[in-house]
Amino acid sequence: MTISTAEPRTSSRPAVPSAVATTARVLGRRALQAAGVVLVVSTACFAIVQNLPGDIAFRIAAGRYGYDQVTAASADSVRAELGLDQPVWLQLMDWLAGLVSFDLGNSLVTGASVAGELGLHLASSLQLAAAALVLALIVGTTVGALAAARPGGLLDRLTTVWVSAARALPPFLLGLLLILLFSVHLGVLPAAGHGEANNIVLPAATLAVGLSGLFARVTRDAMAQIRQSDYVRFAATKGLGNWLVFLRHICRNTGVTLIAYVGVQVLVLIEGVVVVESLFAWPGLGHALVHAIFWRDIPMIQAAALALALMVVAMNTLVDLATAAVDPRPRHKEAVL
Amino acid sequence: MGWQKMRVAGASAVALLMIAGCAAGGNDAPAVTQPLRVVGQFEFHSLDPSTAGGFFTRLQVAETLVDADVQGVLQPGLAESWSASADGLSWTFALRPDALFHDGTAVTAEVAAAALTTAQGKAGTPLATVPLKAISAEGNAVRVELAEPFAPLPAVLAHTSTQILAPSSYGPDQAVTKVVGSGPYQVSHIEPPAKVELAAFEQWHGEKPDISEVTYQAVGRAESRALMAESGQADVTFGMDPSSLQKIRQAGKLDIAAVTLPRSILLKANSGHEILGDVQVRRALSLALDRESMATALLRDPEMAATQLFPPSLPDWHQASAKPLEHDPAAARKLLADAGWAPGSDGILERDGRKFTVTLRTFPDRPELPILATAIQAKLKELGIAVDVKVGNSSEIPAGHKDGSLELALYSRNYALVPDALVTLTDDFAPEGGDYGSMGWNDPALTSALHDLASGNDAGKAAESRGKVTDILQAQLPVIPVAWYRQSAVVSPRVDGVTLDPLERSWRLSDLAWKK
Amino acid sequence: MTNAVAMHELSPAPAQSANRPHWVAGRTKTQLISAALLAALAVFAIAGPLAWPDHALQDLSRFLEAPSAAEPLGRDHLGRSVIARLAHATQLSLVMAVLCVSAALLFGTLAGIAAAWRGGWVDSVLHGLSEVFIALPALLVVLVVSAIANGDLWTLCLGLALAQWVEYFRMVRARSGLLLAGPAVEAAGLLRLGPAHIMRRHLFPELRPLLSTMATFGVGSSILALSTLGFVGIGVRPPTPELGLMITEAFPYYHEAPWMALAPVLVLTTILIGLLGLRSKESRA
Repeated sequence: MTISTAEPRTSSRPAVPSAVATTARVLGRRALQAAGVVLVVSTACFAIVQNLPGDIAFRIAAGRYGYDQVTAASADSVRAELGLDQPVWLQLMDWLAGLVSFDLGNSLVTGASVAGELGLHLASSLQLAAAALVLALIVGTTVGALAAARPGGLLDRLTTVWVSAARALPPFLLGLLLILLFSVHLGVLPAAGHGEANNIVLPAATLAVGLSGLFARVTRDAMAQIRQSDYVRFAATKGLGNWLVFLRHICRNTGVTLIAYVGVQVLVLIEGVVVVESLFAWPGLGHALVHAIFWRDIPMIQAAALALALMVVAMNTLVDLATAAVDPRPRHKEAVL
Repeated sequence: MGWQKMRVAGASAVALLMIAGCAAGGNDAPAVTQPLRVVGQFEFHSLDPSTAGGFFTRLQVAETLVDADVQGVLQPGLAESWSASADGLSWTFALRPDALFHDGTAVTAEVAAAALTTAQGKAGTPLATVPLKAISAEGNAVRVELAEPFAPLPAVLAHTSTQILAPSSYGPDQAVTKVVGSGPYQVSHIEPPAKVELAAFEQWHGEKPDISEVTYQAVGRAESRALMAESGQADVTFGMDPSSLQKIRQAGKLDIAAVTLPRSILLKANSGHEILGDVQVRRALSLALDRESMATALLRDPEMAATQLFPPSLPDWHQASAKPLEHDPAAARKLLADAGWAPGSDGILERDGRKFTVTLRTFPDRPELPILATAIQAKLKELGIAVDVKVGNSSEIPAGHKDGSLELALYSRNYALVPDALVTLTDDFAPEGGDYGSMGWNDPALTSALHDLASGNDAGKAAESRGKVTDILQAQLPVIPVAWYRQSAVVSPRVDGVTLDPLERSWRLSDLAWKK
Repeated sequence: MTNAVAMHELSPAPAQSANRPHWVAGRTKTQLISAALLAALAVFAIAGPLAWPDHALQDLSRFLEAPSAAEPLGRDHLGRSVIARLAHATQLSLVMAVLCVSAALLFGTLAGIAAAWRGGWVDSVLHGLSEVFIALPALLVVLVVSAIANGDLWTLCLGLALAQWVEYFRMVRARSGLLLAGPAVEAAGLLRLGPAHIMRRHLFPELRPLLSTMATFGVGSSILALSTLGFVGIGVRPPTPELGLMITEAFPYYHEAPWMALAPVLVLTTILIGLLGLRSKESRA
C-alpha cells in the first residue's frame, strides 16, 4: 500500500526550497552519530574482550583447532603468531589505524580477511531483514487498511488479538512453532540451511509475523484517525472520488506515520535477526557475532558489532530522508525517535 | 467502499502467491540426479589440514599416506606399502604410482614430503610429538628418519593433520587457500563456514562412486538437524541428540545407522589438588556416579554406561576381565569418612575447616556434556560434595591444566584420532600430565608400559603391557570414566550402504548408493 | 527487546469515573483481567519456591515422568520437578526484570533531569552518549556485556539496564525541557521555592504516568531478553532455572514430554500478555 503513496504527486503543495538543506542536515547529523558509534563501539568491544575471563590465546586455539583438540601447545603457537603479548593499547591503536584506512584486519581464528567474511554475513543478514520487512509491510498494511475500513469489526478485533499474540511470542518460540508446522508436519519448507531459494521463507516469516502485527496496528490507527480528519472530510465534500481521496490524502498521510514507525522497528528487526539466525543456521551477522564472542576473535567481534550498529544508523538515515520526502513540511525537530 | 476491499484483497492475494511460490520449491519429488544432502554439526573455519579437524578427509576430498578400515586396521592410502629398517629408525612409504591430484598433477614423493614437513611444523598435531629427524623424498617413496624408534608412526601418518594436498592448494604465504586433494571427491563449491559442494573426481583410480554429487551443510543446533532429517531435507544426518533419535526410531520412516566409538566421556580430576589428590577421594567420586541411570536417562542408551575407561570398540585395550566401576553410595561415604571428611552444619563435607567444594568445567559443544555435568553435580551433592558447574569454552580445560587451577573437568576423548590408541595415551598419560589426560599424577609402571609399547620391542608382551595400563588406570583413576559413545546417523530411505566409521575418519560417501 | 514499541501507546490514562473504588475506576476489563493474571503469577513466584524449595533435586530413574497429582507438571529429562523449576524461574525472571528496569529508570531519569536542568556541556555529553546508544541494538549491548562473566546474574542485569536507560533518558529530557521552560516553573523560580519543590510538584506528576507505562513495557522486554539470551546460550548458567533456558532444554523432548515445554512457554506468554493488557486501551478511535 505504501508503495502506491509515492507515485501520484500532489500538485497542490508548493515546491519546497529547503529539501536539499533538510537532506544535508539529516545526513550531517547522522554522520556525526555514525562517527560516535564507531569510536564507542570499537573501543568498548576491545576493552570488554580484553577483560573477558579466560586466556584469549586458548580461546582462539579452540576456534582454530576444534573444541576437543585445543592444547597448551597450540595455544602457545597462536599467542606467538598473533602477537597477543603486545601491550593492549598498542593492539587497539593498530586496529583503529587500520579502520581509518578501511582495513578491518584478519580474523584471528580463520586467518581470512574480516572485510571479506563480513561482506558475506552482512549480505545474508540484509537479505533476511529485507525479505522480512517487505513481507511484514505487505501483510501488515493490507490487514491494517482492511481493519480501518470498519473499526470495531471482526477483522479489527482479530488484528488486536494478533498484535498481542505476536508480541507475547518471542521470535525463537515462533520460529520453533513455524518449523514444527511447515517442515515437520506439512513438510513443505526446509527447516534450516542456507543457499536454496526456499531456505529464506521460514526465517523471514518468523521475523515478519511479529512486525506485521505492529504494522497492521499502526496502519489501522493512522488510517482510522486520518479518515475522520477535517481535510479528508473536506476532500470528500468537495467531490473528489473515493480513489483520489484514498491515494492523495489517506495513503500519503498514513505513509508518514508508517515510515517513522518502520524506523523504530528496524532495531527490533536487527535484534530478531540474531536469534532467528541461530535457530535457522542462517550465516548472517548475528551468527558471526555469537561465534566471534565465543572464540574471542577480536577483529571479528568489533567488525560485526560495528556493522550491526552502522546498519541501524543507515536505516534511520533512510527513514529520515523518506519522511522528509513524503512529508516536506519544515519542522524544528526531526520526527525520529 | 467496494473498490477498496478489492484492492486490499488483491494485495493479499499477491502476498499469498509470493509465499506459495517460495514454498513450492521444496515440494519436488526426489530425483536420483539430485545431490546427496549430508547434514552435520561440524563447521569449518579454515582449510588448513592441521585445523580443519579432518573435515576434508571425512568428505574423502583429501587423503593421508596411510588409511584405516572400520576396525582400525591400517590400510594403504596414498602409500601402497611401508616398511621400517631393522633398528626402527628409518621408515619408507612407497606411494601409489597412478595417484593424481584434482588439478591433474601427479602426487609425487616431493610434494608428499613437503606436506608432511609443513604438518610437522604445526603445534598440537600428533606428528609434532613424534621424535622426527628428517622427512625426505626418495624416488617414489617418502623416507622418514627418527631419533628413536616409534612403532606407531604409520598410525600417526593416518591422522587427518597429515593429509597430502597439491601444491596449488597453497597461497603465496603457504596458507591453504583451497583444498586440492587426491580423493574420490573434489570440491566444486565452498562457502565457509557451513557449506561445501562436492563432485566425483573423474580420474580417481578406484571404482567410480554411485553418488556423483554431494552437498554438505553444517547446522549448529541439534534440534534443527533432527528437524531437517525428519522433514526429508537431509539424506544423511550426523550428530543426533538422543531424544530425537528415539522419536525417529519410533516413527520408523527413516533408517538409523549406529556404531560404538572408541570415545569415552570422562571426568578429569586434578590429582595434584589438596582434596582430589587422595586416590580414596577419587574412588569415592567414582562410586558416587550412577552411570547406568545417567546412560539410560540422558544418553537413552543403557549400554553406554562405562565400566572402565576403554570401550569395547577398542578391543586391544578393553579388558573384559577388569572389575567394573560400580555405583555404591554407601561405600563412597565410607571412603570419604575414612579420609577424614565429615558433614558440616550445612550438610557439606568438611575436614580441618576446609569445605569439600570443587569446580567442574565443561563445555556445550557436545550437548550431552552440560546435562551430564548437572547430573554429576546432583549425585555428588547427595554425598555432601558441593560442585560448582562452569559451562564455558572447551579451551578452559587445557588452560586450567596449564595454570594448575583446574579441579574437575568433564569432556569426551577420542582414543583413535590416530588409529593406534597408543599415540593418544602416551600423550594423555605422560609423566608430566596431558591436556586431556592425567594432571598432577604419574605412575612409573604405567610410563614404562607405554614406553615399551611405543618402542615396539618385544611385540609378544604387547597385550600384557596394555592390560597393565588398563589395570593401573582403573585402580588409580587419574580420569574417572563416565560413559562411552554411540554415534548415530539418520539415513533417508533413498540411500543404501551407510556404514559408520568408528574412528570418525571418513563418512565413506563413496560406498553409498542410491536405492534402486 | 526494546521499549520503542511502547512509544505510540503513550498517552494519558483514561478519565476516572466517580462511582467505583479508586483502583478499579477508569480501568478497562482487559486491564483488570491482566492485573489478575499478573497477580496470580506473582503469587506463584513468591509462594511457589516456598512450596517446592529444591528445584535441583534429581531422580534420574523418573526422567520425563508424566504429570501426576504429586507432580502437577511432571518431571524433566533429569527427573527434576518441573513445577519447582517453573516457580523458581518465574521468580528469577520477575525479580531480574524489575531490578533491570529500576536501574535503567533511575539512571535514565536522573540523567534526563540533569541534562534538561543544567544544559550546557552536561546536556551535550549525555545527549551525545544517548545518540550512540540509540544506534546500538539492545541485544548487542547485552550480548557483549554478559559475555564478561559467563552468565553471572549481575552482569546480565547491568547489560539489560545499559540497553534500556536511553529511552527513559530521552523521554525525561524532552519532557523536562518543556516543563522547565514553562510559566509554572518560572513562577516557582521567582517565588524561590527551590529545586525539590519543582521536582515534586511540577516534574514528577507530569512524568509519572509516562514513566510507569514505559516501565511496564520495560519489564516485559527484559523478561523476553532474558529468555532469548537463555535460548542463544549466553544467559544464566544451568542448572539455574530460567524460562528461556527451560524452553530450550525442553525442546528436544517436545514430542515425548510436551508438558515440560508447554509450562514455561505458557508462563512466559502469560506474563507478556498480562503486561501488554495492563496498558491497553480498549476503545480506540
